[in-house]
Amino acid sequence: MSGRAKRLTLQELDRLCRRRQASGAAMPAYAGPLERHVQDGDRRLLRLEYDDSPAALRLWNFLLTEEDRLHEARAAGRKIVGTMKDLGTVPVMAYSLPNVVAFYPDGAWWTPCVMELSEGLFGIAQSLGLGDAFCPVRAMAGAFVNRAHFPIPDLLTCSVGATCDDFSAIAQRLESLGYPILWWEMPSRRRPEPGEPAVALPGGFRAPESQVALVRSELERVRAALAELAGSPLGDEELTAGIREANRIRGLLGELRHLAYAADPCPMPALEMLIAEMLAIHFCSDRAESAAVLAELLDEVRSRTTAGRGVMPAGAARLFWVNPVADLRVMNLLEDCGARLGGTEYLFCHALDAIPGDLPPMEALARMALADPMVGPSVDRAARIVRDARAFGAEAVVVSRIPGASHCALEGTIMGRVVRDELNLPVVELEVPPVADPLWPTLRTRLEALVETVLERRKR
Amino acid sequence: MGMCPYARAFAGEVLSAPGVGGAILTTTCDQMRRTAEWLSLAGGPPVLLMNVPATWQTPAAARLYRDELQRLGRFLVSLGGRRPRRERLAETMERYDACRAILRGAAGTLGGRRASEMIARFDLGEEPDGSASAAPPCGTAAPGRADSGQCCTPGGRRAALPVALVGGPLARGDERVFDAIEQAGGLVVLDGTESGVRALAAPLDRRRLRDDPLLELVDAYFGTIPDAFRRPDALLYEWLGRELAASAARGIIVWRYVWCDMWAAAAARLSEATGLPVLDLHVSGDEAGLGRTVHQVQAFMEVLK
Repeated sequence: MSGRAKRLTLQELDRLCRRRQASGAAMPAYAGPLERHVQDGDRRLLRLEYDDSPAALRLWNFLLTEEDRLHEARAAGRKIVGTMKDLGTVPVMAYSLPNVVAFYPDGAWWTPCVMELSEGLFGIAQSLGLGDAFCPVRAMAGAFVNRAHFPIPDLLTCSVGATCDDFSAIAQRLESLGYPILWWEMPSRRRPEPGEPAVALPGGFRAPESQVALVRSELERVRAALAELAGSPLGDEELTAGIREANRIRGLLGELRHLAYAADPCPMPALEMLIAEMLAIHFCSDRAESAAVLAELLDEVRSRTTAGRGVMPAGAARLFWVNPVADLRVMNLLEDCGARLGGTEYLFCHALDAIPGDLPPMEALARMALADPMVGPSVDRAARIVRDARAFGAEAVVVSRIPGASHCALEGTIMGRVVRDELNLPVVELEVPPVADPLWPTLRTRLEALVETVLERRKR
Repeated sequence: MGMCPYARAFAGEVLSAPGVGGAILTTTCDQMRRTAEWLSLAGGPPVLLMNVPATWQTPAAARLYRDELQRLGRFLVSLGGRRPRRERLAETMERYDACRAILRGAAGTLGGRRASEMIARFDLGEEPDGSASAAPPCGTAAPGRADSGQCCTPGGRRAALPVALVGGPLARGDERVFDAIEQAGGLVVLDGTESGVRALAAPLDRRRLRDDPLLELVDAYFGTIPDAFRRPDALLYEWLGRELAASAARGIIVWRYVWCDMWAAAAARLSEATGLPVLDLHVSGDEAGLGRTVHQVQAFMEVLK
């Protein structure tokens, strides 16, 4: 068994990068020292700690060059689709067309964190009436206005209905500023009534056939808009191929998650796993490269697991993490406190499950979309958490609240109650702002206390 | 993120009021959607969460609303109601339609608080008294002040600055905001809150009512009621453009609960869309909050003067 994998500072990671460049190691064209992003204002990178593998280096480079890729796509004449809110459905459709690139403008919610609030996006949002009572995704509105981040999409889609109010209100504000949006309806998923025709959804839940039919018809409108934008038909054949590719990525991620969250010692840090999971929802604007990045990461994790090499000592407290953190640095913190991830539910588990391959593609996509944990009751989400926490052997659950997010007012209470009832695990709710430094002592204390609780419970 | 005070109050009422046989909530806001779930776990009465689509320009959205009305019907039957005959449904709808006509008239003549109270009583099942709205129209130009942009309080007692009250629903006791506005020298000439005339369904089409009452129900409610949750929200601004002009309101007071994202975003846009001064009230639902509201209203009226 070899020694532990290390967490590197940015300078150490960049030294690794330069060594690899100097040695002639195969690296993608977008790779380079992350210092260049710090020069562009991504100051939070200086405060993060990174996995020491070339695979992680590639992952970070891939993530941080997304805006460049989008601008290159625009320059190359490809059509850009901004897919808002659905987290994993419309991108599968968009990437089924050869000349279309999709991305999530919502992703701008991390920009204030990465740039440590120096970019002014919240200020712009505030000037539009979107103050700090809104979730940090309000940064997206600022990015549309200052045009300093992503190119303005050729088509904007947004799912509404059973979505969080923050996003719906922010997107409407965008439309009022002159950005037309194709709104598509996502009903609140409900349990089928007795005798009502129902179907199984990916992830294990059931929904009334009528709801699936509605979503399918809404996605047909999206399909027509995408085809019109691309100037080429988006037939079932293309969609089937697109679903196959999406499933390949989901498969890679599935194995990666299984190893990273179940193996002991933990073979990949929480921060890199958060980034890796995010690739599933829109492929970081390059589906093929996304698969390659995940494949390399998976190879690294397989090799570490086989060698018994981890980023934490064996036996670290296993925390199941619910909701993505607005401040990426908190994922480092959980390891600093002696914990590791023992499962996650980052609001988009429907983008991790395989899309049914034995159904007509639009039916399969509609079922996947309706499996979104955000459109159903929190008890469904809690059931998923219970199932996965059990599978990964999690010993405690952290519900990370997103400041201002409408779903966070009640969901933590509901999910916590279900988790306690079903698993008898400790549950902690934390609120993580985009730059959590002022709360650091509190967050650390609470996580350390949770870890102590977990370790104490093992003695019983 | 905290819980919306209105959603909290609603949940408290459902769980504590005697004789509540069931609760019906809708998906028009995320907090109420989640409150429905919370209520169903809290051991209270049966709960129905009705999907009200945010989109409204497609046949699919209208179909969903119609299906949800039918589901609502089944829920009510499950609580002991009886499935109505088509004629009975049409008659009931006609009766309600007549009531709404009275309420719309009352809103024009009685003005702020009294009209709001009539609508609130109607929402609780009390039919409005048609003669109550026979007073001189509210909003009549004050004597000798025709060019001042001022109007008379109900009964012509004194000149007042006409304002619109727009936003979410008023809870019981919140009608005091009308008094606060009047005491500050204003008068609500347009009640665009969720519990005001804005949320009254459009007049029914009698021929279609006879042909297909359920379809007419969909058209009258889903097809016409403007609100901040709808996507796009064009109907709200069309309605405001029309009604603000008709009422000659000189300012807008936005009634929105803390943590209400829909009206928070709308508040900023209202000023751009209408060109009128806007006061954005953050309603917390407690007495201290009401005190703040009074001061804010007074300051706003000073500005308008």
